Amino acid sequence: MRADNKERSSAGQAAVWQARLIMLVMINIAQLWILAATVDAALAGRYTVLVPLVVGSGVCFLVTLSIIRWWRPTSRKKTSTGYVRDNDR
Amino acid sequence: MNDLKNTINRVLSDEGDVRAATAPYQADFPYDRDEEAQVTRREFCNFLGLTSAALFIGAGGFAAKAALDARKSESFVAAPIDGAAALVPNSSMNFNYPAAGDSAILVRTSDGTYHAYGQKCTHLSCPVYYSRDHQRLECPCHEGAFDVASGNVLYGPPPRALDAIEIEVRDGQVWAIGRRASTDEHAS
Repeated sequence: MRADNKERSSAGQAAVWQARLIMLVMINIAQLWILAATVDAALAGRYTVLVPLVVGSGVCFLVTLSIIRWWRPTSRKKTSTGYVRDNDR
Repeated sequence: MNDLKNTINRVLSDEGDVRAATAPYQADFPYDRDEEAQVTRREFCNFLGLTSAALFIGAGGFAAKAALDARKSESFVAAPIDGAAALVPNSSMNFNYPAAGDSAILVRTSDGTYHAYGQKCTHLSCPVYYSRDHQRLECPCHEGAFDVASGNVLYGPPPRALDAIEIEVRDGQVWAIGRRASTDEHAS
C-alpha cells in the first residue's frame, strides 16, 4: 500500500515537472515571437506598438521567473492546509 | 568457456569500451558519455529562464534604440545635390541627406521634374531603387512599391509612404532643403 502511494506520488511530481517544462517552452516561443515583432516594428518606425510589446515580454519573463521560483512539486507531507495523507500517517 | 564469453563481450563492447579504445586524449577527459549528455530537468528549466531573460532584454534593447533614434532632433541645412543637374529624365541617383549616413534617392521623371525620398523602405528598411520600366520606386526585399510622384505605397507590405526630401531648384542646381517623415499608416 505504502509503495503504491509512493509510486503515485512520484508520478504526480513527474507530471508537475512536465507541466512546468511545457509552460516554460511555450512562454519562450511567445517571447521569440514578441522579439521578432519588436524588431519588425523598430525597423518600420512604428513606435506606438513598441511599449506594449516590451511590456508583454516582461510579463512573460515574470511568469517564467515565478514558474522557476515558486511552482515546484511539493512533498506530500507539506500540503498548504497541513493535511497529511494516508501514506504519511 | 569463460574466456570465450569474455572475448565475445570484449568484441561486442559497449560504448565505454569504444571510447577507451579509440581516443587517447580521452584519458585526459575521463567523462562518461552518459554523464555528458545528461541534462537534468532543473538545469533545463533554468536554461529556459535565462533564455526568457535574454529575449526580454533583447526586445527592450531594440525598443530603446528605436525610441532614442526617434527622439533625435534633426536640423536641416540646405545642401546642393551634386550631379543632379546632369541627371537625364527617367533616371535616378543616390545622395546622402541630411547626414552622411542617411541615404536618399533623387528621381527625375520622364517629364523632367525632380522627386527625392529617403531610401529606406518603411517596411523593414531595405533600400528602394527606381524602376525605369515601371516608373516607380521598388523595394526588392518584399516586393513593395511606391509612387514616384508622391512616395505613397502602391502595393506590398510597407505600412506608410517614404520619407520625403524637400528639394528646390536654385539657378539650375538642385538643393535638398529638408526632410519630412511620413506618419500616415497605409498611405496610398
